[in-house]
Amino acid sequence: MNSPSERYEDAAPPLAEVSLAALFGAFLRLGSTSFGGSSAGWIYRDIVQRRAWISDQEFLVIMAVGQSLPGANGVKLSVLIGRHLRGGIGALAAPLAFLSGPFAIILAVGAVYTRVAHYGALHAALDGVAAAVVGLTLSTGISAVARGAGDWISVGISVITVLCVGILGWPMLPVILVLAPISIGMALLRSGAARG
Amino acid sequence: MRGGFFGNLLPLFVVFAPLSLLSFGGSNSVIADIAHQSVVAQQWTSQREFADLFALSRAAPGPGSMLAALIGWKLAGLTGALVATVSFYGPAALVVFLAAKLWGRWRGSAWHGAVERGMAPIAAGLFLSGGIAVLKVAPAGLVAWAAAGAAAAALLYWPKLHPLPLLAAGAMLFGLANLLGATM
Repeated sequence: MNSPSERYEDAAPPLAEVSLAALFGAFLRLGSTSFGGSSAGWIYRDIVQRRAWISDQEFLVIMAVGQSLPGANGVKLSVLIGRHLRGGIGALAAPLAFLSGPFAIILAVGAVYTRVAHYGALHAALDGVAAAVVGLTLSTGISAVARGAGDWISVGISVITVLCVGILGWPMLPVILVLAPISIGMALLRSGAARG
Repeated sequence: MRGGFFGNLLPLFVVFAPLSLLSFGGSNSVIADIAHQSVVAQQWTSQREFADLFALSRAAPGPGSMLAALIGWKLAGLTGALVATVSFYGPAALVVFLAAKLWGRWRGSAWHGAVERGMAPIAAGLFLSGGIAVLKVAPAGLVAWAAAGAAAAALLYWPKLHPLPLLAAGAMLFGLANLLGATM
């Protein structure tokens, strides 16, 4: 089956035409402001919710594909979103932009850190930042689950994932290896039923 | 101390490039290996120095694994920082790119769509799990759960709200509580 998109025939058409400069600028800003390490939450907030460059569904797919591959999550998402929007050159530009800000900042901060590291209030403030960042992660997850509301199989799969990985603390990879075939099989059955 | 290319830069590449390819589930999964290499195997840093560099990489923006850049910097200055960063992120990025290219070839087939629809709810669950995992080990305990819950509610209620003001509020509240001697 041939897809209508002409530029990257293997990708779904992006929601928006994004210039290389805009892509670079967005990821430069994302990298330099994404405190607390939840890169995926920051990227979702900016690229999907604020700029609407890609759809919720496409982001979650990119996220899920990325989970089964090695690499830092922010870098993986930059490569995949950059490729989705601008092809090979985007896949190079987005992670470069995403990393160059933090690279410069961490070397600069490293120079002054040793002088202020002994203040207890500083550590408490960092805990406060971390808590707010977790809020960002949770809100992203809740939006994603709510998107599937009404489809009880999808919600159920999400709840089981949270129970196994989040609550019970089981290792992620085996959980995905068990749940993925079940969830994909259900989706395949449903699409078959809808067609037939 | 040995200098030059083979002295410092090549070992940085030899250590960080394989770790890049092993970092399944994000770079957090190889932090323990980085610690072992840095403190014991290569003796790049002392235990104390490593703990400081780690805390620093968590406080700064961007991926927590910028730790690699700090270790490279300590060893061989700016060149070392660049070599460590490229070695740690490059190989995995290339694998991800090639996998996406391969995956895209099957777009349009029935099972391609089923995989995408089937994986989406798992990804949503992993998001929530990541947040819960961090809260379980948060030093502030229940206060951290409450603060995270409040931040999540605010972000859901105002979809256009930028997260930075919430981070600043979190830093100020926790920092002030600490200065006032509140027990958390």
